[in-house]
Amino acid sequence: MMRPPIILLKEGTENKQGKQQIISNINACQVVADSIRTTLGPRGLDKLIVDSKGQTTISNDGATILKLLDIVFPAASVMVDIAKSQDAEVGDGTTSVVVLASEMLKRVKPFIEDGVHPQLLIRSFSKACEEALSYLKELEIKISGEKELREMLVKCAATTLSSKLVSQERDFFANMVVDAVNTLDESLPLSMIGIKKVNGGNLNESRLVKGVAFQKAFSYAGFEMQPKHYTGVKVALLNIELELKAEKDNAEMRLNTVQDFQAVVDAEWNILYEKLQKIADSGANVVLSKLPIGDVATQWFADRDMFCAGRIHQDDLDRLLAACGGSILTTVSQIDDNVLGKCGKFYEQQVGSERYNFFEDCSKAQACTLLLRGGAEQFIAETERSLHDAIMIVRRAKKNDSIVAGGGAIEMELSKMLREKAKSIAGKEQFFWLAYARSFEIIPQQLCHNAGLDGTDILNKLRHRHAQGEKWSGIDIHREAVGDNLAACVWEPSIVKRNAITAATEALCLVLSIDQTVKNVRTPSGGQMPGLPGQ
Amino acid sequence: MASMAQLMFDEFGQPFIVMREQENQKRMTGVEAVKSHILAARAVAGTLRTSLGPRGLDKMLVSPDGDVTITNDGATIMEKMDVQHHVARLMVELSKSQDDEIGDGTTGVVVLAGALLEESERLIDRGIHPIKVADGFDLACKKALETLDAISDRFPVEDRERLVETAQTSLGSKIVNRSCRQFAEIAVDAVLSVADIDKKDVNFEMIKVEGKIGGRLEDTVLVKGIIIDKTMSHPQMPKELKDAKVAILTCPFEPPKPKTKHKLDITSTEDFQKLREYERETFETMIKQVKDSGATLAICQWGFDDEANHLLQANDLPAVRWVGGPEIELLAIATNARIVPRFSELTEAKLGTAGLVREITFGTAKDRMLSIEQCPNNKAVTIFVRGGNKMIIDEAKRALHDALCVIRNLVRDSRIVYGGGSAELACAIEVAKEADKIEGIEQYAFRAFADALESIPMALAENSGLAQIDALSDLKAKQIETKNPHLGVDAVFAGTNDMKQQKVIETLLSKREQISLATQVVRMILKIDDVRVPDDERSPY
Repeated sequence: MMRPPIILLKEGTENKQGKQQIISNINACQVVADSIRTTLGPRGLDKLIVDSKGQTTISNDGATILKLLDIVFPAASVMVDIAKSQDAEVGDGTTSVVVLASEMLKRVKPFIEDGVHPQLLIRSFSKACEEALSYLKELEIKISGEKELREMLVKCAATTLSSKLVSQERDFFANMVVDAVNTLDESLPLSMIGIKKVNGGNLNESRLVKGVAFQKAFSYAGFEMQPKHYTGVKVALLNIELELKAEKDNAEMRLNTVQDFQAVVDAEWNILYEKLQKIADSGANVVLSKLPIGDVATQWFADRDMFCAGRIHQDDLDRLLAACGGSILTTVSQIDDNVLGKCGKFYEQQVGSERYNFFEDCSKAQACTLLLRGGAEQFIAETERSLHDAIMIVRRAKKNDSIVAGGGAIEMELSKMLREKAKSIAGKEQFFWLAYARSFEIIPQQLCHNAGLDGTDILNKLRHRHAQGEKWSGIDIHREAVGDNLAACVWEPSIVKRNAITAATEALCLVLSIDQTVKNVRTPSGGQMPGLPGQ
Repeated sequence: MASMAQLMFDEFGQPFIVMREQENQKRMTGVEAVKSHILAARAVAGTLRTSLGPRGLDKMLVSPDGDVTITNDGATIMEKMDVQHHVARLMVELSKSQDDEIGDGTTGVVVLAGALLEESERLIDRGIHPIKVADGFDLACKKALETLDAISDRFPVEDRERLVETAQTSLGSKIVNRSCRQFAEIAVDAVLSVADIDKKDVNFEMIKVEGKIGGRLEDTVLVKGIIIDKTMSHPQMPKELKDAKVAILTCPFEPPKPKTKHKLDITSTEDFQKLREYERETFETMIKQVKDSGATLAICQWGFDDEANHLLQANDLPAVRWVGGPEIELLAIATNARIVPRFSELTEAKLGTAGLVREITFGTAKDRMLSIEQCPNNKAVTIFVRGGNKMIIDEAKRALHDALCVIRNLVRDSRIVYGGGSAELACAIEVAKEADKIEGIEQYAFRAFADALESIPMALAENSGLAQIDALSDLKAKQIETKNPHLGVDAVFAGTNDMKQQKVIETLLSKREQISLATQVVRMILKIDDVRVPDDERSPY
């Protein structure tokens, strides 16, 4: 007797479950990792991605590439998420976290195929992760002392930059980044480091402006008559439109006689002139506003040898505020000397094909601007991303002053310690621990692979050295050999590694714990369902 | 080439898709990608190669609208070519960047980058890691820059004659080389009058370049003052004013209007009359105010109607209307005037002065322009370009821009090297010498860099119709023998190879920039090993 089938889900719904589901998820994650695998390390290569609008991006940053790949496969997006979280949390190591996670997945695949219950794996992996973190804590080296701290920051920044496009200039940029971060106040707000990109010029013409710099705003006639050079500057920061305009938008006047006409016009002018006069009386000699400053005001200021610029970006104003003090005013009625920002020098200068305004020697000096130069737009964009990574690293390292050696050294050491620990565990969990330990070796292996070195050979040497107790030996890419990376100054903040290990393990557990995916069909109006074959 | 990511099958044999629209993407990886990029970039460089040097030929570019551009300026050619390929676009940006920063040498930088890529292809074929090649190039670039510094000469910026010679080198390869000397002088004088020598700053916004079809290139002049493409508002106003007092107004000659929305109800004829009367009165007061201030010429940013025009004429007040904002600004600077936003604020102190204001007419054409000369402040100047057709004028303008940039760079940094490929050759010799001292694979990249540097004198020789290999090997031998780094390709057949004698001068800044920019871009191109591009053929739209 045939029973009618029970239809549970709408037709077309994709429903996958069981062991196969986990395996195919693992495969998908590996595809994602494969696409950024080759960017790892100083010999890592870049990816060029052209999106559907024709925008070209050239990048080496794992998070950026994954974002641009536009991944739709549900489980694979976990990989994108961990890269993003690493980016948000520490800003660097986005590629290594993905590579690490995918390697862990690869190592558990045989277990799943053999029928081990995912929960068992998850449990022992979580435990192993905790163990790894505690080893990391033992291994990390605290840095203290003013001078040592700075050196440490520079080295960490240089390590990050060594895998980027700007690697040839890494010392130059590393110092620049550290100087930039050092100007900030306690909370190290990222927004106080302005990054301005100017096409043209050479990379090492980039400079750090201890103060604020921004591109000359759109100007009205009269602007060129204003002085462009001041010392002992008092800056009025406004959020006021200094333009002749209707004071009330939806008011309508009914005039009875023609004489009233003149009176109304005069009144309007006077409103503006009063504002201008008040600003001038306050002693300010540079007037900046977020809103437009009209031609009348421009000429009025020019007449009084004052400088003005309208339509300044909010970020720039905020940085000026942090650098020069004062406050942003929304009315001029109470303007006086106290609310003005003060800085030592103001000038306008040609940078590339643009004219830039510079504010330097600021009274509070808690903001700075990096002025980047470079040959092509994509080039500077990538430099900006690289510097962003370096800035994030320095910020994190400043708060967490402990480091580990990079270049695969720390991974090899953790792997060794976990392996030793595994031997003390009875039962089949031992295999899981060993697998977890093995997966750390992917980082040095991938580094070798990208550099065109013999991975097996180098890895053997590394294992040998670590077994002998040389806990900081890693790959020295430039000499293409094995060496002590602590002495070679390949340093990374330990927080990067800690976060990477946690994130990768969590991603692994997440993927393992999914045993069913139900994908609903989209309503026809919603367009084509991505990921559904044959539609 | 279907890579693994293109199509995957799960356990049930169904394909599954990881990335959105991945079936519409082209993907290229590994050495194949690097090679295809090199090919694309070299193709672009090949186009420009024949434009290099004084005997370089021009390119004619027709835009989709049928506009014709004839130029041998690298940056302009690249821009107008509308390059589609993503890597070739990097080369376009490269020349644009050189243009933005230096303004000259836009062709050379692309040719050099092309040559570097050509050399690196050979190295990659031998199995050298692209990054290794790039590293080697970087090292070699540093050496080359050092050499450049070593062979550079200080340049006397005060010496006008020498500046003119430098400008001539830049103009030598352009369409204007017929009247090279004259253009060079114009460029030098223009820059010197606006330059701030102490701060080493030149504001190009103070140099206005105007063009007008007609006349010969030789008729091009530098006006110490402003030329605006406007005429007196009334045909009967005087065509020439001496010792004019200029009032610059940004308010219209019309009854003032409040910005607030308003409405005036006219209910009777008397009211209407009154309004009429009021308007006339305002005109009269305005004109009176201008007159009272002592102005003899009114320049208005806005227009005025025929009635105002007539009143102005009746009151003997010449006026110009609809003058644009930037011109107003330049005028104000040149004449020392203040821009006046309201009639009531007009005073004598705010007026500017100009020795001569005249309308100039051209040939039989009815076109006229207003020239304001003999201004008290020559911080603002105008270069007035004449030429047979629009294309010539545009090209002449570009050539002038290049020359202006060269002079500006000299003001900024007064060091120079000699042209004609001599500097490149000297660097090539030094780099090749250094290569032998280097351990490791970088040595190959070093040599390749030296070879690539030689491509510039090579292209020069080729474009000049010389036997390139002969000429180059000859020069190289001579340079090594005599230790004279000033020997270059004698492209104009002046009889000597010594560029110092030929007075072929280029700025150090520009050369340095060329070499380091080219190296940077080459590094960027070599570093890419994975490309994802939307596939136009397969994409549904």
